[in-house]
Amino acid sequence: MLVWPLVVAGAVAPAGPDRAWSALADNRPQDVLRQIRRDADSRAHRLAWAAARIGAQPATDASMREAEAVLAELESGTDELAAEAAYLRARIYQLHLNTPDFAQAARLYAELAGRQPGSHWAQLGLVKLGLLKLYLLPDLTDPGADRLAAAEALLPRIHEPLLRRDLELQIGQAGIVLHQPQARFLPHLIAAVEAGGITGNAREDLMVQIGVLSERAGDWARAREYFERYLAEYPTNVRAFTIREKLAEVKRRLAREGGA
Amino acid sequence: MRRRRAKFGWVLLVGAYAASVFWFLTRAEPVIQRRDVTIYFAHWQIERGPPDGINAAIRRYEELNPRVHVVQLQIPGATIYPQWMRSNLAGETGPDLMEWGAWLPGQKDIPARYFAPLTAELAKPNPYNVGTSQEKIPWQDTFHDKLLAPKRDSPDPGQIYGVNITESTLRLFCNVELMKEILGRVVVPKNFDDLRKILAQVQDFSRRTGRTVHGLAGSRDTTRAVAQSVFVAPLLGVNQRLDDGGTLYLYNRQVLAAYLAGRWRYSEPAVRAGLQLVRETTNAMKPGFIQLRRDDAMIEFLRGQALFFFYGTWDATSLRRLASFKIQPMKLMQAMPDDPEVGRYVLGQGGEGIGETSLAMYLNKASRHPAEALDFLKFLTSVPGQQLFTDASLWLPAVNGAVVPEEIRNFRDYQEGISFGQAPYDMIGTEVSMNWDRNFYQLSGENGSAEKFAAAMDAAMPAAIREDLKAELRATLVLVKPQDPVIVGWAGLAGDKARIRREESEAAQTMSEGLALQMKLQLEQAK
Repeated sequence: MLVWPLVVAGAVAPAGPDRAWSALADNRPQDVLRQIRRDADSRAHRLAWAAARIGAQPATDASMREAEAVLAELESGTDELAAEAAYLRARIYQLHLNTPDFAQAARLYAELAGRQPGSHWAQLGLVKLGLLKLYLLPDLTDPGADRLAAAEALLPRIHEPLLRRDLELQIGQAGIVLHQPQARFLPHLIAAVEAGGITGNAREDLMVQIGVLSERAGDWARAREYFERYLAEYPTNVRAFTIREKLAEVKRRLAREGGA
Repeated sequence: MRRRRAKFGWVLLVGAYAASVFWFLTRAEPVIQRRDVTIYFAHWQIERGPPDGINAAIRRYEELNPRVHVVQLQIPGATIYPQWMRSNLAGETGPDLMEWGAWLPGQKDIPARYFAPLTAELAKPNPYNVGTSQEKIPWQDTFHDKLLAPKRDSPDPGQIYGVNITESTLRLFCNVELMKEILGRVVVPKNFDDLRKILAQVQDFSRRTGRTVHGLAGSRDTTRAVAQSVFVAPLLGVNQRLDDGGTLYLYNRQVLAAYLAGRWRYSEPAVRAGLQLVRETTNAMKPGFIQLRRDDAMIEFLRGQALFFFYGTWDATSLRRLASFKIQPMKLMQAMPDDPEVGRYVLGQGGEGIGETSLAMYLNKASRHPAEALDFLKFLTSVPGQQLFTDASLWLPAVNGAVVPEEIRNFRDYQEGISFGQAPYDMIGTEVSMNWDRNFYQLSGENGSAEKFAAAMDAAMPAAIREDLKAELRATLVLVKPQDPVIVGWAGLAGDKARIRREESEAAQTMSEGLALQMKLQLEQAK
């Protein structure tokens, strides 16, 4: 009875943050914007609002600036929410503005990692900073830049195993497209797959890659190991025929060189 | 006059009443549903077979689950389905389970926006497999190809959004009686050169008898299928050369980027050799085939005006039910190293892999009954569900453990050999495909040649490929950007499920972001 006038008037009762988190997780940012006001009382609500503003369509620079203003206010704390806000702010500059500002994004990630190095969001930010260094900073006009080394330098600062794995994988893949020597990037691919948890085609590709690249480098023992593991996991895949042939060849080589 | 008008009125009234009673009794939905839950299952496989197979599974499922009613919606594909799907999803009125395909133009964003990932469910055994050979095996591993295409087509490299209902491959369907009439016996081609000789004999037969008979039923759709099959053999060496990462598999973006980097050309000898094979096969089709569609080719074949119809095994049931003659499915064998025309470019026997499972069904995020919809999907892809499907449809099952009916057993007789997955030189993006079709007249027919076509393609390709690579980059970013708020959402929720989903989303986003940056780099390097 009491809420009836509100319902009639079209107002919506304030929602707990869980409802907003669920809507965000379900890729329904517009629902969050309907539930929460920009100047909501709780910081969690304001963070949810800013995240929804980033995700809602149409995504314009003006909406990103609105989100950034809220995030800038939230990041002034020292808790995990502040770190999350700082991370999202960097993401706006890296990904969501019509003309990204990669240098500014890199600066924000670095500041966050300096301020709250143990935070999950700082750790995730270091992975994204690694991507920037691999492909975008400095830009392609600097052919002498050792892009892999710049990203590798971030690895010791990432303590979360899954995030470290993700950056290892990115360094490995970047090594291929940047035509780096195999010895520079293959260890990163191996570290990524051995860290575990990579699923789907990405895992299949990695297993084949390590086997084939090891074979190309003449590391027959490692090639055999990964070919055998691949065939055990994916015996009927389209690549299985070629890998069986390669495995037979690798075994012949090992036998000939006494490494079997 | 007045009495006659009144009489006419009464007749009209009684007629309308009778029609409405008939409609009410036979067509109308019941006013009160007898079951608590109704789930809707939409697909475009309106060929002969699948609707029967799905109905058979639905009947059994409804016996097992009296609360649930499953409605099969058959929506015509190609032109209608994509718009129907998009508008219903946007309006949150979409069915609970929907078919989707990565090749549907302009629909790449659909899974990430509207479908729920099934990765976690796929890691657990399918409860409907209890008592079968697939009991205790993770659902994902019960599929014959372990869901190759849903993994490949996933917007997030680590996630699986869809499950497949059937398995298909391409086959050369032969009119047995016509072959006996032309060749005196049934000849199964063992390599491409055998096929070449058969096609020449058909041409000779037609010339001698004055009867209109072509070697291959012709259409634009079937030409694509033929081209993809015969084109690849001389390109195996090119594939190996482009495979920097050693994945033994080339994705579209890799082929696009390699062209921009000047690492292959249509006019290089091995690619021209592939084009020559395409020319040989399409010259066995009737003039003007490029204006025709798959159904036209099927009619040509069913009328006995073509010896072979080359297309997917998904058409086999329709062909069997509609043809007045015996049909024998055969493999379209690829050129071998001893091929007299192109053999010097062929490294070895090309492979078909193990066939791919297909007819991918997805769970709508906005489903009002996600648990029941997922449960039906599990039944349909269980051993008992698949047995019902395959027996009634004569389409291959997608999972291990279901017995393949005798009539279609040889569909699974795959050619083993070297395979680079898609290696899609003719299908590497919308612009490239359009240029392929637009210039095809320069390849086939009396005035066409592999050289002319290759020159035309190489002239058009730099701009077309750049556009396609940009489109691929845009499509990837469309998937990457919405993940930021999604990750924040999962991070805010408590519990293991939320933590795992956050971790998966973070990993998948980083992988997709990496791919986007690789494409950006490749575009900039080729400026």
